[in-house]
Order: sequence, then structure tokens, then C-alpha cells
Amino acid sequence: MRVVTQRLARQLILVPVVAVASYFLMAALPLTTETDAKRQVSKELAASYQRDLGIGEPLGFLRPWEKLFRGERLGTSAQGITGDELLLKLSGSVGVGLMALPLALAWALGFALLRTTWRRGRWAALGDAVPAVAFGTPVFIPALLLAPAVVERGHMLPELCAALVTSVWPGIFLGTLVGDSLETELSRDYVRTALGKGLSRGTVLRRHVLPNVWPALLDAVGPVATSLLAGSFAAERVFGLPYFGQLYVLAVLNKQVAVVVVATTTFASLLVLVSLAVEALRYALDPRSREATA
Amino acid sequence: MSRVPPRAIFGLTLLVGLGVLSLVAGRLFPEALASTCPLGMDPTRPDRTVCELAFGGLWVSLAVGLAAGALSTFIGLAVAAVARLSGGAVEQALLRGVDAVFALPDVLVVMVLQLAGQSLADAGQGGGFGPFGLMVASLALVGWAGPARMFRNRLFTLESQEYVAAARALGGGGAHLLRVHLWPALRPFALAVFLSRLPAAILTESTVSFFGIARMEPMSLGRYLGTSYAALIYEGGGRVVLPAWALLVLLVLGASLASQALSATPRRAA
Repeated sequence: MRVVTQRLARQLILVPVVAVASYFLMAALPLTTETDAKRQVSKELAASYQRDLGIGEPLGFLRPWEKLFRGERLGTSAQGITGDELLLKLSGSVGVGLMALPLALAWALGFALLRTTWRRGRWAALGDAVPAVAFGTPVFIPALLLAPAVVERGHMLPELCAALVTSVWPGIFLGTLVGDSLETELSRDYVRTALGKGLSRGTVLRRHVLPNVWPALLDAVGPVATSLLAGSFAAERVFGLPYFGQLYVLAVLNKQVAVVVVATTTFASLLVLVSLAVEALRYALDPRSREATA
Repeated sequence: MSRVPPRAIFGLTLLVGLGVLSLVAGRLFPEALASTCPLGMDPTRPDRTVCELAFGGLWVSLAVGLAAGALSTFIGLAVAAVARLSGGAVEQALLRGVDAVFALPDVLVVMVLQLAGQSLADAGQGGGFGPFGLMVASLALVGWAGPARMFRNRLFTLESQEYVAAARALGGGGAHLLRVHLWPALRPFALAVFLSRLPAAILTESTVSFFGIARMEPMSLGRYLGTSYAALIYEGGGRVVLPAWALLVLLVLGASLASQALSATPRRAA
């Protein structure tokens, strides 16, 4: 239990670390108004940035968070965003990610089965080529190819298409991992012993093999959650979905520094929550994790 | 004697071939490419053909990937070496730092670093970093944690080998063990890690450039695809996107095959 608590503490400490690091990175941005170069900010805007970030004030680094919890707009203009709006946009992105998750699992299962079949035949090279094509395809490319057909239509089609294009890479990644792990476990002695004692293949798979495959699957959940959420950013941009990805990219492009600080930290917190859920699941499913040393 | 697996040779050949092709077609003889391009002109840049932009972008993307991959591999190796040489609390602290960096989404952090770097450059404090240098530095700053974790684990495994224990028992210090015994065993793995960082760096750069946040000039494949968005929507021109996509996939295929084959191959002692 102590090991699990330590792991949880390590994950939780990430949130204030990200908050403070992103704050000081933003606060360090030079906002000089000495030249009239096109990209320099005006004196008023620079003063507004300083106020938003609480630069030069004691405990100034808490300023974006104070504004957030008071329900005020973050940012330097009417384009700034309130905490409620931020949560609404985040829930939109999480919704796209949640739609993408079952699709990714379907891709994973399908690819793992196909890969096992291909391995025995002349299509073996496809087992390597398909992941390379999937990994080498940034989310925005299939989104761009689908966009002309879907952007003008409603009825959740853009959201579904965003989920579809976001799910491919994580699905193939999971499929590769699970397929490899499954194959390794199936070749082990305990499987032969169980089959030799008369158990059916399904029972051996369910009772003996799958419990040993779960840890590999759980190890992959972190990167998959990151890629589902970060991947949805690009898809949202292409399909014109007004969710968290759109907000983040516009905040960076418009130098809405307080929004960037809060949005980065919120996103990191979401990833930490996913990690915590995975740790809890691992603790429940994998007896070895309860005995592992730090 | 060690044998390089055929998959690694195929992957490396593909990578080198693409590099030579991008150099020849994109840099040395762009006029020949422009006059023979079967894909026509780019709708958003009528002065350039699709082939010129795709192969020019390939050259830039490849250069960014190689530089960022090498830098992040080097930083990861240095952090792992310091962690293993120090041991104890220092190693644990470094590993927690690695975990913290590793947990952050690459694309978001690169966006923030690009914003910070561009603001510094606008204020005349960029330290001579152009868009290329800024992108390489941003990618290396987010990309070193994975290699650091892999190198640390590999060093930990190598240290449990009998020949290392024997060298230690004979009085070999940490730096000596690292230089004489561990590094030669680590070299093929370092190459595999470098090759695995290459596609990650290229894809992250492509995504950030696609968002319009990076000011990569000349255009990388990602920036080219980003600027082709309007053409694709309004002209239905898959011809604008498909060549750059194919080049990106081939790059990743080459790097992935070589990386997987090299990291999986057991090396026999000479």
C-alpha cells in the first residue's frame, strides 16, 4: 500500500510543478514596448499582461488562479475565458476523447488479431508496415482528407470524425502491444500445461493469459490517453470544433498568457487523474504491483 | 562479430535514400524537379510546384528530426549517466524529474516553448536562434525524458552483468566502467534510441507547424500541409496533401524499422 501511496504522491506533485513552471515561463516572456516592430505588444497590452500574471506582486503567481476561482475572465480582452467556459470546452475535448477510446480499442483488437494471422503467412511484412503508416500519419492528415466531406454537416458528424481520426494511432499502438504480449504469453509453459490438463483454449485465455496481459495494456493507457486528448486538438482545429484544443491553440497564437498557464495546468491535471485511475486499476488487477518496490 | 538485421538495413537504406533524394531534388536541382513535376502547381503558392514544396519540406523536416533526435538522445544519455554515477537520492530526484517531463504532452509544451522563444526573438533576446534552432531546442527540451529513462534502465541492466561486477571488484571506478565497459555495449542501443526519436520529433514539429505556431522557413512538411488546408477544402486537391503525407510515412517507416530491429538484436561479443 505504501508503494501505491508513493506513486500517487509522485503523480499529484506534477500538478503544482506544471502550474509553477508554466507560470514562471510565461512571466519571463519579454513584453517590451521599446520598438515599433510589428510583433511587439502595445504598452497597454503589456501592462495588462503584467496585471493578469501578477508580475512584481507578492504571491503574484497565484493571480491567474484567483481570477479563475472568482469567475473572472482570464486573458487580456473580451476573448478571455472564465473557469466555467474552460471546463465546458475541456468537457467537449474529453467527450471526443471518450468517443475515440472504444474506437481505439476496436482498432487494437482488430489489428492484434490480424497481426497474429499475418505472422503465419506471406503477409507478415504488413504487421510492420501498418504500424509505420499509422505512426507516420499525424492526426491532421486524415482529418484534412475527411474535412471537405463533413465540415458543412452537423448531427455530431464532425465530432465522430474527429474521434475516428484520433483513434487510429492509439488503436494500432495498443494492438501492437497487446498482440506482442499475447503472443509471448501464449508461448509460455503454463499455457501448455493448462491445455495439457484439458482446459479449453477460451478458459486458458480468460483465466491464465489475460491476467498476465493486463499490465502491458495498463502501461500503455498513459501514452494512449495523452495521444487521444492531444490528437483531438489537431482534429478539432481541422473540423472547426470549438473545444479545448481550439481554445489552447488560439490562446498560444494570441499570447493569452494567463489562459495558457491555466489551460496547461488543467490539461496536466487531467492526465494525472488518468494516471491515478490507472494506478488504482493496476492495484486491483495486478497482484505484482502490490508487492513491487518503489 | 555482430550481424545487422535485414530490417535495420532496409530502414537505414530508406532513410539515407530519402535524405539523398531530398538533397538532390529539394536543394541541388529544384529547377529540374519544377519542370518535370506531374502534380502541377500548388494552389496557395502558384510560383512553386507541389513536388518542389514536398521535397523542400522533406529536407527541412529531416534536418529538424536529425538535429532534435541527436540532441535529445545526447541529453538523455548525459542525464542517465549522471543518475547512475551518482546513485541514491540524486538518482531518485533525477528520475522524478524525468517522470515529470515525460508525463507532459509534447505538442502542448512545444507550443508554449515556441511562444516563449518567439517572444524572446522579437525582443532581440533570441540568442541567435532562428526558427530552425528554436524548433530543435524546443523538441530536445521535451524529448530527452524518454531516452533518459531508457538509457538509465539499460545501464542498470548492463551493470548487473558479470564482467562489469568483475571490473568493479578489480577497483574500476564509475567513470571508468561507463567509458570502457558500458558505453561500447550501449552504442547500438543509443543508435536505436536516436532513430526512435527521429519520427517523434518530425511528427511533433509537423503538428506544431500545422497549427501555424512555428514559423519554419523554408517550409517543413508540416507547415506545407498546414498552408495547404484551404486548397484542400476549396479545390478538393488530394494531390496537394498526398505526396507530403507519403514522404512523412516513408520517413517514419525507415526510422521505426531500423530502430526496432537494432534495439531488439542481441549483440554478440567480438
